[in-house]
Amino acid sequence: MTDELLVIRAQLGERAALAELLARWRVPVWTYVRRMLDGERADDVTQEIWLAVVRGLPRLREPGRFAPWLFTIARRSVTDRLRGEYAWAREASGFGDASGGTAGEGIAEDPAEAAVDRAALVSVLSELPVPEREILVLFYLEDLPVEECAYICQIPAGTVKSRLNRARRLLRQRLEEKGYRP
Amino acid sequence: MNEEPRLSAQDMIERLEPALSPMTRIRAVAALLAGLAGAVFVGTLWWSEPGPLPGRTQLAFAVFTVFCLAWAGYGGWLLTRRAALFATDRVIAAWIGLVASLTTTGIVTAVAVRRGTGTGPALAVGGLFVAVALVLTVRAHARRAALLRRVRELTGPEE
Repeated sequence: MTDELLVIRAQLGERAALAELLARWRVPVWTYVRRMLDGERADDVTQEIWLAVVRGLPRLREPGRFAPWLFTIARRSVTDRLRGEYAWAREASGFGDASGGTAGEGIAEDPAEAAVDRAALVSVLSELPVPEREILVLFYLEDLPVEECAYICQIPAGTVKSRLNRARRLLRQRLEEKGYRP
Repeated sequence: MNEEPRLSAQDMIERLEPALSPMTRIRAVAALLAGLAGAVFVGTLWWSEPGPLPGRTQLAFAVFTVFCLAWAGYGGWLLTRRAALFATDRVIAAWIGLVASLTTTGIVTAVAVRRGTGTGPALAVGGLFVAVALVLTVRAHARRAALLRRVRELTGPEE
């Protein structure tokens, strides 16, 4: 059963459909939250996200776009907790985030990428600044396309690409510092 | 890195129960409708009172109207912020609202006619409530029908 069908059934008031939706997206949402926050806060924030999802679900106009909507809510909850960190990251890295930038470089042809194994990636992720960490989690761990990442983070697709490039560069540096070689 | 969420899907559903509980929804709809109906009723009585009223009576009417409006506000807040009102719930809530509006209009108009004053305002306010309830009922039915149609499109003719 597709997400869209589950969402519509849940919108009609079917509890079983809502439970199925929750079972299907519970781990992806938690993974995103956990990668962005520490373990202690992850469960509370995940619960807060699902509460907002349940309350907002009757008003969701595009059931076919459930995943970006879900992660927009998740991001809002995480951002609330990380407000200080976001501001710090912006100041610290001086962020050339204007759309354009290195956007034209493409996002798939990074040589380090293939060598990075998931466990290593996860262990290094927490050391990255929040905006880079977030975009890596959404794009690589949640497998969301660039357009949906842009929608969720409310930034242009070009900025997603440039942020991904910078995130990969930082990731590669960190991995090399830890002895991983592409 | 084999961390797992501590809450199972079942645990999570249980924790979401306050937003999903039928009692919350019933309480919200009941508070909203009773508050609005009470405010209209008291307001009409106040309006149609013949002759000038003593200060204390004016105050009592005002306090009672505010009290009803506060209940209506609480119900509205519950409905929009706390409870999840799904499409089928909305249809039921809209019908309850329509019946309550008609009943309140009927009672208020009957009182106004017996007193021989304020029939016009009673009918006007009641009519407004009935019209709003009617629009909400039509919209709720249309929304539910649209969702059911989409379910049929997605599941194909076999279901």
